[in-house]
Amino acid sequence: MTDPTRDEEKRLVEHAKRDPREFGALYDRHFQQIYRFVYSRVREQTAAEDVTSEVFMKALKAMPRYQDTGRPFAAWLYQIAVNAIADRYRTLRPAQPLEDFHDLSVAGPAIEEQAAQRDEVRRIWAIVEELPSQQRTALVLKFQEDMKIEDIALAMGKTPGAVKLLIHRGVSRLRDEAGVLRPLD
Amino acid sequence: MSGRYDPELEDMLRDPELLRLAAILSSAHTPEPPLDDAFKSGLRRELMQKAWGATERRGSWWRRLAAPPRVAWVGAAALVALIALVVVQTQGTGGNGEVVVGSPQSGGTAVQLQQPILVSFNQPMDHQSTEQAIQIVPATSVEFRWSGDTTLFVQPTSGNLAPNTQYQVTIGPGALTKGGKRLTSPKEFTFVTQPTTPSPGGGPSPTPSGGSVLTGQHRLAVAPGADYSPQWSADSTTLYFVNAAGALQSVPVAGGQPHTLVPDGVSNPALSSGGDRIAYIRAGRLQVLSLSGGQTISVAGGDSATALVWVKNRLFWAGPSGVFATGPGGPGGGVGPVKLASSPDPSGSFVSIAPDGAHAAFRSGGAILLVDVATGATTRLGLAAGSGNFQGWSPDGTRIMHDGVIADMNGQTLARLPAGDPSWSLSGQIIVGTDSSLIEVNSDGSGRQQLATGSAFKQPAWAPDSSTFVFVRGGFLWVAGAPGGSQPQPSAIDQAAAVVAAFMQARLDGNIEKARSFLDDNGKATYAGSGPALIPRGDAGFRRYYILSSEVDPTSPNTVRFVVRLIFGRGGPIERTLSEETLILKRASANDPFLIDRVIVGPVRDLGRGPVVVAVRITPSRVEVTFDSDLRPATIAGVVLQDGQGSPVGGSVSYSDRTVIFSGLQLAAGAPYRLVVLPTVQDVGNRNVISEYDLDLVGPGADTQSQVIIATPSPSPNAGG
Repeated sequence: MTDPTRDEEKRLVEHAKRDPREFGALYDRHFQQIYRFVYSRVREQTAAEDVTSEVFMKALKAMPRYQDTGRPFAAWLYQIAVNAIADRYRTLRPAQPLEDFHDLSVAGPAIEEQAAQRDEVRRIWAIVEELPSQQRTALVLKFQEDMKIEDIALAMGKTPGAVKLLIHRGVSRLRDEAGVLRPLD
Repeated sequence: MSGRYDPELEDMLRDPELLRLAAILSSAHTPEPPLDDAFKSGLRRELMQKAWGATERRGSWWRRLAAPPRVAWVGAAALVALIALVVVQTQGTGGNGEVVVGSPQSGGTAVQLQQPILVSFNQPMDHQSTEQAIQIVPATSVEFRWSGDTTLFVQPTSGNLAPNTQYQVTIGPGALTKGGKRLTSPKEFTFVTQPTTPSPGGGPSPTPSGGSVLTGQHRLAVAPGADYSPQWSADSTTLYFVNAAGALQSVPVAGGQPHTLVPDGVSNPALSSGGDRIAYIRAGRLQVLSLSGGQTISVAGGDSATALVWVKNRLFWAGPSGVFATGPGGPGGGVGPVKLASSPDPSGSFVSIAPDGAHAAFRSGGAILLVDVATGATTRLGLAAGSGNFQGWSPDGTRIMHDGVIADMNGQTLARLPAGDPSWSLSGQIIVGTDSSLIEVNSDGSGRQQLATGSAFKQPAWAPDSSTFVFVRGGFLWVAGAPGGSQPQPSAIDQAAAVVAAFMQARLDGNIEKARSFLDDNGKATYAGSGPALIPRGDAGFRRYYILSSEVDPTSPNTVRFVVRLIFGRGGPIERTLSEETLILKRASANDPFLIDRVIVGPVRDLGRGPVVVAVRITPSRVEVTFDSDLRPATIAGVVLQDGQGSPVGGSVSYSDRTVIFSGLQLAAGAPYRLVVLPTVQDVGNRNVISEYDLDLVGPGADTQSQVIIATPSPSPNAGG
């Protein structure tokens, strides 16, 4: 069974490869998720704009060479974004407090419970930000961007096995550093 | 709390504790980040411009198609067609087979002019009935062209869309689907177009949203050291630099392999103004290399020098005991060095000598002292703790850059600079390399423009030609030019336009204090009295503004006159009324900021009920009056240009593409004129101008042939289309 969304994306990609003027449709389709991902990493609007610009500019330029490997087009954009962020922040770290960013869905529990859960989430994500760069990126792409392992592998330029190892090590390290966790419902 | 089931995680983590952590990580949701819609649409526009540029370079089909106006239209049509595809897809099919109508231009606030209006449908439409059902306000003659049965291009026959105009496009219920089904109700969308052309000189400099606007950027195959800025040859064709190993090398700016002049141990290189010699410190000795002959001489008394500069033919240097210079013949000229000034503090050291040799910068106790070389007098620069960072000189040596500011030789701060490494060009532009961007500013600190973003840009240095510069990035030398090369100081009209834009934006924002900051006492009195509301309140519905005309008073370059049109609407997207304010801005001298001194308010006029003037352009010999509607040519006699006595001026009148043109004029500089649009003027929909419209003008100076009055852009929060 074919995936109509995927078919549509393939069509747009083919058009954009043939004619760069058709890249606009891909931009419209993927801007929001790439900008959101970049912002979550750099935490500063101007920097997020700069990196997002760089991502799409590079993508437009490289479009004729893009090869459809069967993975979502977004995975390729994430790959450019991951590299752009790494390049820009090789020596710098985001300045904004991380607590401001990750939040918790609040359906269900009572208010006190929600607050406790929110604290828990923030604490765990704060530890994520202290992980080695590769582990951090793998965890963000998996848990924040909800990507599949193979897509993360493409984005990070690694094998799926290496990505699994990064995620496993990252989560294990979270366990070690997070101490006692609240039990989940 | 429960995370969503993910078989990949189950398979990968297995351990319940790890899975619980994964669930916590997954349960966090990422909030939508702050997003400037103008950035999003601006980036899209930038991408599309690049895409079109790339296609044009490839010489694709559309380039060969036809003449430029046709090409522009076809190109835009192709672009919006693509957008329309997305629009319709995101609209879905509509419930119960309902016809869904969309347009990528819908809601746009700065839609480009060179494009058709695009209407897209979610199902095949009957062409004839759909075309007949379309109504456009303002009245516009159009041609229709279909792409299949679901995409309709509505092309103004006069060429482009009208500037500064809200379009209301209605598809009436008479439109039928291919299957004969009618629209259940009229479908309407609106958008606002951008101004006709950028303001002369560009007004406030735009800030690119990332990427680069550098021209001719290329990397040189050399890796300079980190301590000294590269030196330009006098003809701007060769760079001299000290590499990471301490070798003095040269490299052609156009590219090529570096040539080693001195193998090692070089510091403080200084190229003579004639470009024939280069001085430097090597093994503690001050040496001068002749670039033509290759001979090296040591300069007596130059040991332990910490700063070098050439002033014409003389070499100046500073060492532990003071500032010295060779005789008028230069090094080797037969005259020994002369001591010009003593060190003000044995524990400090000179860090630089000004290009004119009149001052030197001296670091002492964490601060920078400015030393007058002739008198030895010192001035402490920067009183704040932690200051003491010398950054450079103006080319004439009358300004010093330190601690992020520009100061005069009295230590008076004149302007602020972005944090980074600055370089000041001979034409007065300053580029600053920062950790994440390359920025250009005027020498008064104004006109900040981001030229490029990315990882650190270090040690920029302007070439003598003021059109190119070099910088260090990623361990390599890069050469590039700013857009347009050296840029002139903004004109009076540009500076005043920036004030008007900030003033009007503050009013749109409801920021009364900020708006008042652009008024002088007369201006404050006008807005405080029975004049116009500074902040239109209540149900006024102030939506947007644009500048209808702007001109410098030919008799006073420090007086500028703007006619600003304010647009109002109440409830819904339709704009209902307009009013005009004539703002007179004044400044005491060219160095002072413009302030709004006088305001003249025009009557409120209805919109959407007949033709409206949306742009005026004037030169001494020609006046162009652009309307939002296509006019009935037989009625343009109602557009009149009068002199101060109310008599029609001479010249001829013609009409083309919504624009009435008065040509063959001889307008007198500074003389009053009035543009009159009578109610007899009619659009192609047979609607008359709702009431007489008058616009007072002043004859432009003879030296301003092309730019005295021109409709200028009003900043828009959301650039569209």
